Amino acid sequence: VKVYATYNIKGGVGKTSTAVNLAYLAAASGRRALLWDLDPQGAATYLFRVKPRVKGGGHGLVSGKIQVDDAVKATDFDNLDLLPADFSYRNMDLELDDTKKRTRRLDQLLSVMAGDYDLAFLDCPPGISLVSENVLRAADVLLVPLVPATLSLRTYAQLTRFVADAPRPRPEVVAFFSMADRRKRLHREVIDAIPRDRGRIADTVIPSMALIEQMVERRAPIPAFAPTSRAAQCYEQLWAEVGDGA
Amino acid sequence: MSEVRSARPAGTAAVDFEALRDVLASSFEVSVGRPRAVRRTALDTFDRRLGRAGHRLQLVAETGEARLELARGGETLVSVLAGPAPRWPAMAGALPDGAVKDHIARLAGIRALLVVDVHRRQVRRAELRNADGKIVVRLDVDEPAGGGAAPPVVTVRPLRGYQKEADRAWRLVTTLLEPATFQPVAPRAASLPVADPESPACALLAAELTGFLQEVRDNLPGTIADIDTEFLHDVRVAVRRTRSLLKLGRPALPPHVREAWEPQFKWLGDVTTPVRDLDVYQLGLPEMTGWLAAASAADLEPFEAHLARRRAADRRILLRALRGARLRRLIDDWAAELSTLARSADGAAWSAGALARANVTQAHRRVVRGGTSISDCSPPEDLHVLRKRCKELRYALEMFAPVLDDAEVGKAIKDLKGLQDVLGRFQDSEVQRTTLRGFAREMVADGAPAEALLAMGELMGRLHAEQQHARAEFATAFASYDRPASRRRMARLVGSDGKAAG
Repeated sequence: VKVYATYNIKGGVGKTSTAVNLAYLAAASGRRALLWDLDPQGAATYLFRVKPRVKGGGHGLVSGKIQVDDAVKATDFDNLDLLPADFSYRNMDLELDDTKKRTRRLDQLLSVMAGDYDLAFLDCPPGISLVSENVLRAADVLLVPLVPATLSLRTYAQLTRFVADAPRPRPEVVAFFSMADRRKRLHREVIDAIPRDRGRIADTVIPSMALIEQMVERRAPIPAFAPTSRAAQCYEQLWAEVGDGA
Repeated sequence: MSEVRSARPAGTAAVDFEALRDVLASSFEVSVGRPRAVRRTALDTFDRRLGRAGHRLQLVAETGEARLELARGGETLVSVLAGPAPRWPAMAGALPDGAVKDHIARLAGIRALLVVDVHRRQVRRAELRNADGKIVVRLDVDEPAGGGAAPPVVTVRPLRGYQKEADRAWRLVTTLLEPATFQPVAPRAASLPVADPESPACALLAAELTGFLQEVRDNLPGTIADIDTEFLHDVRVAVRRTRSLLKLGRPALPPHVREAWEPQFKWLGDVTTPVRDLDVYQLGLPEMTGWLAAASAADLEPFEAHLARRRAADRRILLRALRGARLRRLIDDWAAELSTLARSADGAAWSAGALARANVTQAHRRVVRGGTSISDCSPPEDLHVLRKRCKELRYALEMFAPVLDDAEVGKAIKDLKGLQDVLGRFQDSEVQRTTLRGFAREMVADGAPAEALLAMGELMGRLHAEQQHARAEFATAFASYDRPASRRRMARLVGSDGKAAG
C-alpha cells in the first residue's frame, strides 16, 4: 500500500480538503483507497458524514486492543473507506509514547490493512509531535499544502529540516500552493520566490475558491458534487501530478 | 466480514418495489435511483474453477461504465475498467491490476476466462441512509430486461462498518421476500456412480469410454481455437484414458475393437504430442528462468522465440489433423461403436467386478515386480517402464472404482501417488534434457547466439540434478509403496485370494 500524508506544521492550510479530494479521485479511478483522519477535530470524518468515534479510541488502536480494520467505515463512494477520527486522538502522542518502537506504530497499523488497499491517505493534525514522527515513518509521500504567505515559507523551512533530521526511510516531500489568490501581489511574490532546493514543489496551484469551502455544507468531495468545476479540475491536475500514476 | 445477501419473490412473482420501499422507510431514509440497463457477462474458466471455488465473476456494463465484480464469500470486489474490456477469452493477466486480478489469477491459473452466460438486466439501486444522511446500506433490485429467464433478485449490500444496519435492512426485506442463495458450481464427478460388480463389464466399459469421448468432444473447439493450453491437455488425457481402458478391457471387449480402435487412438495421441511437449516447455519457462545462476533471463529469449516458432509450425500440423476427415470419422464411428457396445452388454462373459479385480491384480503385480527389480545400476528405461506400469494401475483403480470399494480405492491411489511423483520427476527430467539437446542443435543450425546455448546448458545441469534427486528418492518411495499395509489394502481390494474370476 502506498501511503500519502497531507501534513503541515501550520493549521488551516487545506490539508483536509486535499486528503479528501485526492482520496476520492484515487478511488474513482478504481484504486482501493483508505483515508485515515488522524486529526481529533475530525473534519474529514465530518465531510464523509461518518460519526467521529472509534470503539476503544486512540488507546484501543495504538495498544492493539482494537483491531484497526474493525474501526474502518465505508464512505458513500466505491473503493473509498475511512478510518474515522476520534476525540481521544488528542492524546495519541501519549499513547504512542507507551508503545515499543514508538515511531513505527502507525506504520505497523497500516501494514495490517495492506492487503485491503492500494493507497492510504493520512490527514494529519498540525504541529510537530510523536504523531508527526510516525507519519514520516509510515508515509511514502508527504503532501504539504502551503498558503502563499511569508510565515508559510518559514514553517516550510522548519518542516523540511524536520524531515531531513528524521531517521530513514523518509518520505518524498511534495509541497504545493493552496488557497492561493493570484490577484494578491504577496501571493504571486511568494509563489515565485519559494526556494526550490528543499523539496519538490508541484506545478499545480489550488486557488482559494468558495466551492472548496462549500465542501463542508455539501459534506462531499468536490469532484463528487461539482465534477466539472475548476476546483475539481485543480485537484485532478494535482493528483495527476503527484499521484502514483504520475 | 460483511455479507452480501440476496432475496427473491416467491414463485415467479415480480418484486413489489413500492411495498419494499415502504417497509424499509420505517428504519431508513430511502432514495431510489433511476432504472439502469445493465448487461452482465458471467465469466469463468472452461472447467469452472471460479464457480467451484465459490466465486462469481461478472463484467457489468452500463452506460458510460464497465466494471468487473468478483463475488466471493460474503463480499464483492470491484474493479472499474479504465479502458475497453479484454476480448474474451482472455487470460487473467489481461485484467486491470488490482485485487480482482490477483484473486482471479490465483484461481484461474493457466486457464483462460470465457463468457459462460450473458444477461440483460434492469437494475434499480436504493440507498438507505441513517439520520446523518450517510449511506449505510445499498440495495439493488435486479430484474430481467425484456422478459429474460433469470428471476428477479434483491441484493442487500452492506457497507463496511455498518453491519448492524445491513442486518436490520435484511430483516425488513425478508418480511416480503424469500432468502436466495448462490450455489457454488458442483465439482464434476471424477468417476461414474457406484455400479453393481455383477453387471456386464461391457456396460461399464461403454459408459466410461463414452465419458472420455465426451471429454474429447468438449475440448476440441478450445484446442482448435488455442484458447489455453489445458484444452489440448484434457483431450490428451481423455485419449490416454481411452487407450488404457481399451487395453484393460481387452478380455471383455469384442476382438475387432482392439484391431480397429487401438491404432486410431494411438494416432490421435501421437498427433497431439509435439504441441503438448512445447506447451510444457513454454509453461515451465518462467520457473526455468529462475534456475539460472550465471546466465540472465534475457539470454533465454532466443530459446523462447525458438519454442514459439516450433509451436506455430507444429500447431499447423495439429490443426490439419483436428479439422480433418479422419478425426471426424473417428469420433462419429467411435460413438456408434460405443452405442452398439452398450446395447450388446447383456449376457457377456465378464462381469465388471471380475474384470476390475483381474486388471487391478495384474497391474499391481507388474508394479511390484518392476519396482523390486530396479537397482542403483538400472538404466533409465527401466524406470520409464515402471512409470508406465504405475499409470496403468492408477487408471485401473480410477476406471473400475464404480465396482470396487470406494474408500479402499482412494487409499490405494494415495499409496501410489508418492511413487508416481518420484518416477514422474525422474522421467520428465530425462525427456526434457533429451528435448533440450535437440532444440539446442536446431538453434545452432539457425545461428542462435552463444549466450542462449550457455543458458540452456545451465538448464541441462539443473535438470540432471533434479533427475539425480528423484533417482536417490526412488528406493524409499518404492519401499513405502510396497509396505505390508499397502499390500494388505490391495489384497482387500481385489479379494482375499487376489485371483481374477472370469
